[in-house]
Amino acid sequence: MTSADLHTLTGAYALHALSDRESEEFARHLAVCPSCAQEVRELQETAARLGLAAAEVPTPEFRARVMAALPEVRQLPPLVPEASDLSSWRLRRLRWQRRMPQLAVAACLLIALVAGGIAVNAQHEATQQRSRTAQVEQQAEALSALLAAPDASFRTGAVKGGGSSTVVTSRALGQTAFVYHGLPLLPDAHVYELWFSKGGQMVPAGLVPATPAAGAQVLAGAQLLVGTSNGAAGVGVTVEPAGGSPKPTSAPVMLVSI
Amino acid sequence: MHAAARGDRPVAPRPGALETLLDRVSRGDQQAFETVYSAVAGPVLGLVRRLLRDPAQSEEVAQEVLVEVWRSAARFDPDRGSAMSWIMTLAHRRAVDRVRSAQAATDREHRAAVRDHTPAYDEVSEQVERRLEREQVRRCLGSLTELQRESVLLAYYRGCTYQETADLLGAALGTVKTRLRDGLIRLRDCLGVTS
Repeated sequence: MTSADLHTLTGAYALHALSDRESEEFARHLAVCPSCAQEVRELQETAARLGLAAAEVPTPEFRARVMAALPEVRQLPPLVPEASDLSSWRLRRLRWQRRMPQLAVAACLLIALVAGGIAVNAQHEATQQRSRTAQVEQQAEALSALLAAPDASFRTGAVKGGGSSTVVTSRALGQTAFVYHGLPLLPDAHVYELWFSKGGQMVPAGLVPATPAAGAQVLAGAQLLVGTSNGAAGVGVTVEPAGGSPKPTSAPVMLVSI
Repeated sequence: MHAAARGDRPVAPRPGALETLLDRVSRGDQQAFETVYSAVAGPVLGLVRRLLRDPAQSEEVAQEVLVEVWRSAARFDPDRGSAMSWIMTLAHRRAVDRVRSAQAATDREHRAAVRDHTPAYDEVSEQVERRLEREQVRRCLGSLTELQRESVLLAYYRGCTYQETADLLGAALGTVKTRLRDGLIRLRDCLGVTS
């Protein structure tokens, strides 16, 4: 059937006068023919007028039966949760779309972290392996809880000297993770240190592990920050002497507000 | 559509009111549903009865339709037409499905009955004429050509496919398809329907 032929079916479609097979075929055509879809909408509105013209007055018994049936019926949820109005629904959808790529990046890094951690461990002693595997698993679990938190926010920041990072924060969980990729290896005796910015003070929040995955020339992974993110206005990263510092001794290579 | 609220319909929803009510219904608001019921139950039942004729079966299907409105109110999409159109389309679809499943059971007899039933249009037309409360719809139906009007009425109020309509009217399939479309377009323009 040609497209011109299909177009003439708008009337029959609006009146449910097509066979099921033709109706399905035409519904597929509607998805790619906005002018047909518009015409179908108008013709359905028109057909509804014919229906209104046939109105009757239902009996009170009929009304009672309909109302009595309602409590037995489970209502369908909206296609998007908590869609209380269209504008907030669109906003939510937009937000979700925006955070999707970041979420995908974070999830990939999380997988890399777990896989990398386990690979590294294979070269260690059995006891060390067990304890480190448990540690990695614990981190991974905490990280996935954070990434899946409904209020998780994602802030992306470039790292001075190379690499990129995303800071994931959940107020509900009071936790923050530093997800990083392509961080240059530091000369011996130096580490990347994480900080919370709280009330104008930089509070130490842990060190980024300095061991790259086997064969890698850069650091990649995800690190849960030590301490609560509650009351923190931002997250920063500095380069510090091995073992870390109680106060930053250099300008941050990355700083984002959370 | 709002003019349709005159006469026996107790509630005349303002433009957009039904859409707002459906939003409340989708969140389990029974009071909102009662208002929706007042606005649509009469047209739903009337349309279903026009198609099925049998009063008990009509009430059964009309009840299904109204419960479906309660069940799937959250799935109503205002971008795809008015709430009234959504509900009436649902009612028409359900009634047509019922007509056709009954037909499938007794297809042979049905075909014979349809062929023997020559005064189909007259009967439908008479019923519709008798029942049409809406002066405007009647007037606009009168502005259609005979073949347009017969085709639209057989498809809408009898649930005939365009093949059956062509059969009944002794017209070519392609002609009936075209008449259904240009008949509805003429009705749309006469009624001033916008979407």
